[in-house]
Amino acid sequence: MAAKFNIDGEAIRKLAEILLETDLSEIEYEDNGSRIYVSRKANIAPVTTQVTSHSVLTPTVQAAPAPEVTDWSKHPGVLRSPMVGTAYLSPEPGAPNFIKLGDVVSVGQTLLIVEAMKVMNQIKSTKAGKVTQIFISDASPVEFDQSLVIIE
Amino acid sequence: MALFSKVLIANRGEIALRILRACKELGIKTVAVHSTADSDSMHVRLADESVCIGPPPSRDSYLKMPAIMGAAEITGADAIHPGVGFLSENATFATMVEEHGMTFIGPTPEHINMMGDKITAKKTMIALGIPVVPGSDGSIDTEEEALKAADKIGFPILIKATSGGGGKGMKVAYNKGEVLDAFRLAKIEAKANFGNDQVYMERYLRRPRHIEVQVLADTHGNVVHLGERDCSLQRRHQKVWEEAPSPGLDAKLRESLGEIVTKAIGKMGYRGAGTLEFLFEDGEFFFMEMNTRIQVEHPISEMVTGIDLVQEQIKVAAGLPLPFTQKDIQFQGHAIECRINAEDPVTFIPSPGKITDYHAPGGYGIRVDSHMYQGYIVPPHYDSMVAKLIAHGKTREDCLKRLERALGEYVIAGIKTLMPLHQKLVQNPDVIAGNYDIHWLEKTLAKED
Repeated sequence: MAAKFNIDGEAIRKLAEILLETDLSEIEYEDNGSRIYVSRKANIAPVTTQVTSHSVLTPTVQAAPAPEVTDWSKHPGVLRSPMVGTAYLSPEPGAPNFIKLGDVVSVGQTLLIVEAMKVMNQIKSTKAGKVTQIFISDASPVEFDQSLVIIE
Repeated sequence: MALFSKVLIANRGEIALRILRACKELGIKTVAVHSTADSDSMHVRLADESVCIGPPPSRDSYLKMPAIMGAAEITGADAIHPGVGFLSENATFATMVEEHGMTFIGPTPEHINMMGDKITAKKTMIALGIPVVPGSDGSIDTEEEALKAADKIGFPILIKATSGGGGKGMKVAYNKGEVLDAFRLAKIEAKANFGNDQVYMERYLRRPRHIEVQVLADTHGNVVHLGERDCSLQRRHQKVWEEAPSPGLDAKLRESLGEIVTKAIGKMGYRGAGTLEFLFEDGEFFFMEMNTRIQVEHPISEMVTGIDLVQEQIKVAAGLPLPFTQKDIQFQGHAIECRINAEDPVTFIPSPGKITDYHAPGGYGIRVDSHMYQGYIVPPHYDSMVAKLIAHGKTREDCLKRLERALGEYVIAGIKTLMPLHQKLVQNPDVIAGNYDIHWLEKTLAKED
């Protein structure tokens, strides 16, 4: 006898958000025998095993007529983490973030901080341009080469 | 005392997979750190969490302490297993791990340091009553000293560069008349190769076997040995094939060696797994060095004793006592390990690339420790060992037959491997007779050219 299958829309929405923020293409979450799998092909609606939610799309991931980069880490404007640690988007808790979407930045401008072993490392932009994507959230762990932002 | 809840594996390839397996069986969560070249490595795929710590070069990834510590921080690991090579015998790293409140799965930084310096290690062993290669007391700086030392040590003698390695800056003198030439030449070569012409002297062992003893010690005063391994089949000081027990030792020699070793390790207050390496010739053992970590060839000791060394390492590090004493350890049968490297079996030129076909042998008494799989791309940036094929049998003869059978089943296509070499070795009369020393393999390979 199968148990009633409850769809947790909130959890799926949350996972889909995480996908976009972190530039992952799939997340599988299992807890106590229940499992949700959410996958994204950039420019296509996030596909879930239970609900197809076009509404979770943000404009930046909308399918465009011309073929776009599907793997953000290969985007020419991507800035990747040079180290492992915890990313902070503002110089200190409560202070405004270094950058926000749409900001124009110059070479050498601090975009965020990656902290490892109590040392705060300023991550500076290697290019000048507009911030079109921010993939990480405040106080989230980052690994080497992880896509952080896109500057175009 | 509870085991760790999360262990970070600070290594890669086959040994990382080995550690991961031990952790999983102990119910410990695993964190795999890896370079960008190893994102698809088997242990990374199997780990509970993975963190990319750097680009392919080892110095920017597997040797980069801040990157590994950063990964440990963000994943909340409570212990780090350093594996083999890389930072496993780096006392600075061990200290760093402990200063950050994590457990380094290995010995104390003091013991790592003690054994890492070859001269200190030798002195320590002499003090602990372990026989060492007879040699000069420190460096030899004048011709008079050279002649005097040679007389005292006994011929043939070997003059070695203090800063040396790779067989350079080493000259043999078979009798008194050759000493001064050897002395002068060694110094010239040492200066040319290492910028330092300081030399010392040791007895030259003409046909020694490489015999090493596996020890295990807990933090409750219990020390055991798991018998010896014969690793004489080497090429350019790299082991190619290892076996346990050694076909060159008898039970009496084995027992006395084991006793000497465990007594010394006990006196040291060592903790964890370690291996003492000796040269053995004409019934005498000479201490060479001690490795304060798990070794690549540990599986053969596991096969003959039934003890999971990596699990025991983890348990000892967590403060648990060893669940056995020396008299509980039974030696059963014979085990042989073939190191299968991604190299041309004749030229030994590395052969990285994509594994297009892979089929591992199986069956009774066969163990394959490998991170390979069909489609895996062997990266060019690291050492070339891709698999260890281990056979166990009731007798050495059974073991050899089993190994030969397994080698015949093993398929690795897309890259070149040493498999053909092992197939030749397993049929070689000297190997079958167990009749070899540390120079045998190179001499045999040279003959075939």
